[in-house]
Amino acid sequence: MTMIRRILFGPLRPGIEAQRPMLYRLAYAWCHDAALADDLVQETLSRAWARRAQLRDEAALKGWMVSIMNHCWLDHLRGRREFDDVEDWQDVLESTVESPEACCNREQVIACVRAAVARLPLGQRQVLTLVDLEGFGYAEVAGILDIPVGTVMSRLSRARAGMKKLLDIAAQQPAAVPQLRRVK
Amino acid sequence: MNPVVSDETLHALVDGELDVTESETLIARMRGDTELAQRVCALRSLQSMVRLAYAEPPLAGGRESRSAPSRQWMQRCAFGCLILCAGLSGGWMLRSLESPVVAAAPAAGMAGYQVVSLAREADPNRVMLHLDSAAPARMQAVLDQAERLLDEAEQQGRAMQLEVIANSRGIDLLRADLSPYAERMARMKQRHANLQWVACNQTIARFTSEGQTVELLPATHIAPTAIGEIVTRLQQGWTYVRV
Repeated sequence: MTMIRRILFGPLRPGIEAQRPMLYRLAYAWCHDAALADDLVQETLSRAWARRAQLRDEAALKGWMVSIMNHCWLDHLRGRREFDDVEDWQDVLESTVESPEACCNREQVIACVRAAVARLPLGQRQVLTLVDLEGFGYAEVAGILDIPVGTVMSRLSRARAGMKKLLDIAAQQPAAVPQLRRVK
Repeated sequence: MNPVVSDETLHALVDGELDVTESETLIARMRGDTELAQRVCALRSLQSMVRLAYAEPPLAGGRESRSAPSRQWMQRCAFGCLILCAGLSGGWMLRSLESPVVAAAPAAGMAGYQVVSLAREADPNRVMLHLDSAAPARMQAVLDQAERLLDEAEQQGRAMQLEVIANSRGIDLLRADLSPYAERMARMKQRHANLQWVACNQTIARFTSEGQTVELLPATHIAPTAIGEIVTRLQQGWTYVRV
């Protein structure tokens, strides 16, 4: 009986709804726009509800919903014609981002890190947030984004190197020239 | 055979993607290899900063967000009024007493400095003072501040933990050969068991790579990175003061 229910109806509405905070956090980390993130989550929830019968294994609910949201996000980008190529491009990470060491209050640290994440190429940003924020395994991320595991690992590697570069600049500067930070 | 460990391997370690044997081998290697340990620590602190950054994403101006902040705002207002009333009446009642009772306000003791805390109210019993400059005035200010806070806590019978975290040029304060206040600091440490000097290992590594030998004062604790230590402590509810 439960089998039949599962196959016919998939997860129940509360189960789907319960993913909202997790989805919103990710969506915000991808687009850094509260209104857009809200739309993405809304769209994801309704698509998930409509396709609930497709999910056979309820344990995979979280990953399944994130992968739906990934499609919503890609659709959105296509619609806005901002969609270049999901393949990573190596963009120059010149820094306007302050290092967290220079920022000394919580809001500033948060703003620094968000600014750095926002500057990552889209593919890297998605992999980094899925791994760091939601603790998805590499194989799960590969499934969600529909890319090979090797690509997940290389994007993650580049994303973290990029973050380090953006955030560590002041920390890496030789201590002998701290005044240079002020002169700009 | 000790090849350089690739970044990918370290990422896999931090993300729990390695199997048990592989991660145990790496962890064993980290004990002897400070550079490797530092790389892992840097990755971990990056990870925790990303988590912190999105712990509370701003809500869109929709359903939930509209009512909640205004209620919070009202609460804060009410709370503020309450404190004001308490302060006024308290002040009135205490007007004749000699010793002012200002235990609850750590900010009062730290006037002029930026005080940061993730908690609603700054915790006066767990404080870190951050020094990143070798300017004599700043060094002295850190020590004065530390001593004042500790003395205050002692007088009021509070158990207080205090960390002085030094990085960049500020590390000179903790270097055995350069610290202008070595004796004073030894005395302070003797008087206050809960005082901890913390040096940033990244800074030490940088000085070492420039050919300097960094010798620290006895009983100085070394943190992998100052920023990592600060973020961890903040998350644990400590109060941060940049001197």
